[in-house]
Amino acid sequence: MTATRDLALGVLSALIVVILMYMLIGSHVVAIPPTQGQRWLSWKFLTSTYNWQDKALWAGSPEVVTSVLWDYRGIDTVYETSVFFLAIIGGLMLVRDYKPWGKPIGKGMSLISRTVVKIVLVAVPVVAASIALHGHLTPGGGFQGGSVFAVSSLLAIIGLGTGFLLGRGWSKSKLLGFRTLGLIIISSIALAIPFLGLLEGLHAYIIQNQWKPWAPVGFGYLASIPGLGTILYSGTLVFLNIAEFLAVSAGLSLAFIIMSLSREEIKRSGGVEK
Amino acid sequence: MSDAISMMIWSYIFTLTIAIIVVAVYGMATRPNLVKKLILLSIMSDTASLLAVLIGMRKGMVKPPVFPGVTYTEHAPVTQKALEAFALSAVDPIPQVLVVTAIVIGLAVLVFLGYVVLLLYQKYGTLDARLLEKKLRGEI
Repeated sequence: MTATRDLALGVLSALIVVILMYMLIGSHVVAIPPTQGQRWLSWKFLTSTYNWQDKALWAGSPEVVTSVLWDYRGIDTVYETSVFFLAIIGGLMLVRDYKPWGKPIGKGMSLISRTVVKIVLVAVPVVAASIALHGHLTPGGGFQGGSVFAVSSLLAIIGLGTGFLLGRGWSKSKLLGFRTLGLIIISSIALAIPFLGLLEGLHAYIIQNQWKPWAPVGFGYLASIPGLGTILYSGTLVFLNIAEFLAVSAGLSLAFIIMSLSREEIKRSGGVEK
Repeated sequence: MSDAISMMIWSYIFTLTIAIIVVAVYGMATRPNLVKKLILLSIMSDTASLLAVLIGMRKGMVKPPVFPGVTYTEHAPVTQKALEAFALSAVDPIPQVLVVTAIVIGLAVLVFLGYVVLLLYQKYGTLDARLLEKKLRGEI
């Protein structure tokens, strides 16, 4: 019975592949092989993001993906960050009665692995911070940097045991605090420009980045710092990237730490049997 | 490279990606283990992202959608000509933007489902969907 059902499902799946492929080749939405020339909207984004001649629609950043993500389509990304936040809050709510903080759990792996992990553990957060801080100049950004940082806490959890992180003062409330701080920075940047516009009686958009002819409020893009010269910070992009880095790295580290706790520890704290 | 070979390679890649997605759906339907279902879900969402990025490929345009040579301190104004030359050599940025969003949402779903699977195992002591169903009904 089960074998027949599986066989039927398999035949159906193969049929779906054939139909989808036929439709993909037959439609002119996706050209196979790819044709030459940019699509209209992509051309618009690529030529207006870093256009010094016509600053009406620019974002002040050479990185088109980050500009679209945090400037042209900023509200979508703010909601996306909220969804991520709610998912982690929902997960924590399921395990809210655990009280294992402050106790060392697990001894980690062998001496060789521990040594390698300790060496790598210095390098990974540096790379993560670099990815996040250069998010408006090179490929990458706050989310990518935060994910790389979470890899380092995962390494520490597996290689050195959860006690390594818990013994260094990482606690649930601290990590949740950083997570919330990141979200608060993002939302206050999103609302700062409309608030300024309201004070001065000018048009302004939520999560607006640069000065526009019809909405003349903006974050600017160049700053003079003594000793460094003028630096390009691309308005809100660098601040939003840092806030997102903070939020994602703290949230993912917290999720990994709680997932790694042992079954006995969870039972002892009485979170499951209710 | 001739058009026929190019067509063949691209059709092969697209068929392979769609086949991976369908096989992952098939696996989610037939495998009873919840962790295997979770792994297949992540394979499916990552392959869908790969498909979106592949659609962003244009002929002869392989550079990342980042204007080259700009750093914190080096940021000379760019001429219109250089900008258009850059736009003609970069890949389509829009699928990449959509994929970043999709990856974040996929990760959020994965973390949440991971917690749910963990708790189900803690409470019922099994990851088998068939056994779990019986236990939830109170038959075992």
